[in-house]
Amino acid sequence: MAAGEEEVRIRRVVACFAPGRVARPELVAALAREMQAEFLGLFIEDIELLRFASLPFAREIGFPSAELRAFDLAALERQLRAQASALELALAAILGPAAAGWTFRVARASPVNAVEAALAEGHAPALLIPPGGNVRAARRQVKRPELTPAAIKEWLAAGTPVVILPE
Amino acid sequence: MFRMLEPLPVAALRRRCDPARLGFASTAEVKGLEAAPGQARAESALAFGIGMRREGYHLFAMGPEGYGRHSLVRARLEVEARRREAPADWCYVYNFDAPHRPRALKLPAGHANGFREAMARLVEELSAALAAAFETDEYRNRHREIETELAERQERALNDLGERARADGIALMRTPSGFGFGPFSKAGDGVMEPDEFGKLEAKEQQRLQESIGRLQKELGDLLHLMPKWRREALDKMRNLDREVTRAAVNSLIEELKAAYAALPRVQEYLERVKQDTLENAAVFRQAKDGEPPTLFGIPLPRPEGAEGPFRRYAVNVLIAQTGAQGAPVVTEDHPSHAALVGRIEHVPQMGALVTDFTLIRAGALHRANGGYLVLDAAKVLTHPYAWEALKRALRARTIDVRSLGQELGILSTVSLEPEPIPLEVKVVLVGERMLYYLLHAWDPEFAELFKVAVDFEEDMPRGADDDALYARLVAGCITREKLRDLDAAAVARVIEQQARDAGDADKLSVRVQGLVDLLREADYWAGIEACATVGAAHVQKAIDAQIARAGRVRERLQEHIVRGTVLIDTAGSRAGQVNGLAVLQLGDFAFGTPRRITARVRLGSGGVVDIERETELGGPIHSKGVLILAGYLAGRYAPSRPLALAASLVFEQQYGGIEGDSASSAELYALLSALAEVPLRQSLGVTGSVNQHGDVQAIGGVNEKVEGFFDLCRARGLSGSEGVLIPAANATHLMLREDVVRAAEEKKFAVYAVRSVDEGVALLTGLPAAEVHARVEARLAEFAEKARAFAAGGRKPWQPEKKK
Repeated sequence: MAAGEEEVRIRRVVACFAPGRVARPELVAALAREMQAEFLGLFIEDIELLRFASLPFAREIGFPSAELRAFDLAALERQLRAQASALELALAAILGPAAAGWTFRVARASPVNAVEAALAEGHAPALLIPPGGNVRAARRQVKRPELTPAAIKEWLAAGTPVVILPE
Repeated sequence: MFRMLEPLPVAALRRRCDPARLGFASTAEVKGLEAAPGQARAESALAFGIGMRREGYHLFAMGPEGYGRHSLVRARLEVEARRREAPADWCYVYNFDAPHRPRALKLPAGHANGFREAMARLVEELSAALAAAFETDEYRNRHREIETELAERQERALNDLGERARADGIALMRTPSGFGFGPFSKAGDGVMEPDEFGKLEAKEQQRLQESIGRLQKELGDLLHLMPKWRREALDKMRNLDREVTRAAVNSLIEELKAAYAALPRVQEYLERVKQDTLENAAVFRQAKDGEPPTLFGIPLPRPEGAEGPFRRYAVNVLIAQTGAQGAPVVTEDHPSHAALVGRIEHVPQMGALVTDFTLIRAGALHRANGGYLVLDAAKVLTHPYAWEALKRALRARTIDVRSLGQELGILSTVSLEPEPIPLEVKVVLVGERMLYYLLHAWDPEFAELFKVAVDFEEDMPRGADDDALYARLVAGCITREKLRDLDAAAVARVIEQQARDAGDADKLSVRVQGLVDLLREADYWAGIEACATVGAAHVQKAIDAQIARAGRVRERLQEHIVRGTVLIDTAGSRAGQVNGLAVLQLGDFAFGTPRRITARVRLGSGGVVDIERETELGGPIHSKGVLILAGYLAGRYAPSRPLALAASLVFEQQYGGIEGDSASSAELYALLSALAEVPLRQSLGVTGSVNQHGDVQAIGGVNEKVEGFFDLCRARGLSGSEGVLIPAANATHLMLREDVVRAAEEKKFAVYAVRSVDEGVALLTGLPAAEVHARVEARLAEFAEKARAFAAGGRKPWQPEKKK
């Protein structure tokens, strides 16, 4: 926990999920309940990945099996739909299907754009949890003006949670 | 005028015990004996067997029931056991190398329970110490460091590959189930569109595809390395866990090892406990009473008393000699297979029977190990496989706990093979003589294992001072049984009864059980009369009551005789008829009763027909007695000519089996009477066997026989002519009832001790024996002459004449 966080009350949690980098949804949801904050589950269908799947020679190397197999768009879309659905069900089971204050959304875009858009529509202070990020890891604090695409790209790559404070 | 045999003097009918010679007024003045005297042979054998510490010198105490075998054996063993040190304690513990073979641990006497408690404390302390050790910041940081190191290593390798791909114009993409490589667009805004790729020159397309292929292979190689890295990380974590565990465990276990420094096997066991805790530290970090194990979500019941994973550190105390003084003396009253060698219990779990080392239970051999085990031989032999198990344990000198099911191969349940425990025990089997001799004859191992026979006497000599000695035994029984004291007359009466019980005026029965019963019952009657001391009348009352309780059959038989249903004459004379005397044993009560024996003679082939034998009612000894008569007749009266006699002998109104030769003299008198046509006195009863020379030989149950005939005569009224002929050799066995003796004193009844047939013939016929013999000889000569005449006529005399 970052120093000085005790004074900041998080009003919104934006938890990002991406195919292959799905953080444990129960931990994320538990954190949101703990903070009594509005929760947004954002499943990002990376546009780059879909473009890659359209290439005629696209192949997937399984992890950890290291098996090389065919990779096509239709199969990818099926997988994404299945993952998104499973994720939503898992969150609903924890947060309550009828409970207000939480939403789940699927965004087909570049991860940076999807996160930028999600953060733009809400109120600060907000907590961004990148895909596959460690929920309980030390959090970086930034002010809203620092919310640039480059910064977001860096946060997503690092996987550490970020607290966005108002100006 | 010939001299008839005189009756025995009254003093010979019952050897009295003079109360005045006992030297006390009451048993309160007498120092009691602990055990029956007269068992010097048994005591000596017992002392030898107990002292002999070599293999195979186990003991067999033999003799009839009620002669104090158990109490004497137990008393001697307890004395010896007190001199010896208490043996070791034994425990079973988990075998970490082979769980189905629990290990046996030997501890000094009285230490097993302490060891069990110490191990239970150790588990508790380990749980607390390990939980604390794994909660420290040091452990958490080092654990996190290993996790981070692994994550970084994987990430770094993927990033390096991604960078190399980027330099080649190719992007590393993360897919839902792995990774993929795609070419960057020329505009640099992400992965190339399929259209853009299609517009590339074929050569460029080929280059990109070849690069992607190479990168895919590199990634494949990299991913193959990752499990190895994870294993390395796991090893590091395991080592970290061991390091932390070792620090916590070492001090606790080393402390315990120091306490048991003198016991190498315990040290070895504790070392294995240490290794096991290091390997299974995670078990201690789980809550002791946490979630039970489940199978497909169904909670599995834990065995009774189970403490989950810590059960393996439990100590099953099989034998604890806590507070024991000396070696154990164990008497097992129910010596089944399991009761002897121990058993392995099972508990149900999900419909199956399961067990472990904590469910091993000790048997009598475990409890007696280092001491003595007393067993009833008949019970050991009648419990299935108990005898085999006992012999195997004694031969192997180990106790191997195996269930009967395992031994017979009929138990399919998973079971244990506990490590055998060394056995050092002295076994004393107590049983009947017959069992000893049967085992000796039929079981070759018996003689090897039970080399010491402790043979108990059934009576003791009744010398001049022995009555006083026996009085001390009476006093000892009174003290043990907490009974009223007996006055001297009562003791004298008891002693006389014990001589009667021995069936010999010069012996005293050492059947302690019978003596104690008599004393208890006399005490009862004294209590009824509110007497502080038991007198002779109370003893007599006890004896009379015993006889009355058991006397129903005897009374019925006598009633049948008195009423004439069973024909027995006690007055007058009749040829070819005599009163034999039989003894009936019903339970522990024996009584005598007269039996009419008749003989008929005629010309014949020289045989004496025993009707009892012909009808298969007579036993072999009885038949032998009758055949001897034929020998006597031939030898005495027809040594040089054919015995042309056909005689038949029968026990009249005898409908059951008959055995023994005690009636052979009576049968001979009946035969001689029939041949000589001389009547016999029916007021006399006869007992005694006879040999071919006409000597009358000793028989058993002489007192009962005399009393049986006396009772009948008295019921009909004694005239003074009644009496009994007994063998002279039995005179010393006479311990007749007071009423018989009194009748003899008053000349109303007589007992004649007969040495030969001649004496008996004279008494029964009132004629000199020579005269009777002469008549017999003349009759036989007549038969022989007739036989010769018949033979001259061409036919056998006993065949009917053919009609012409």
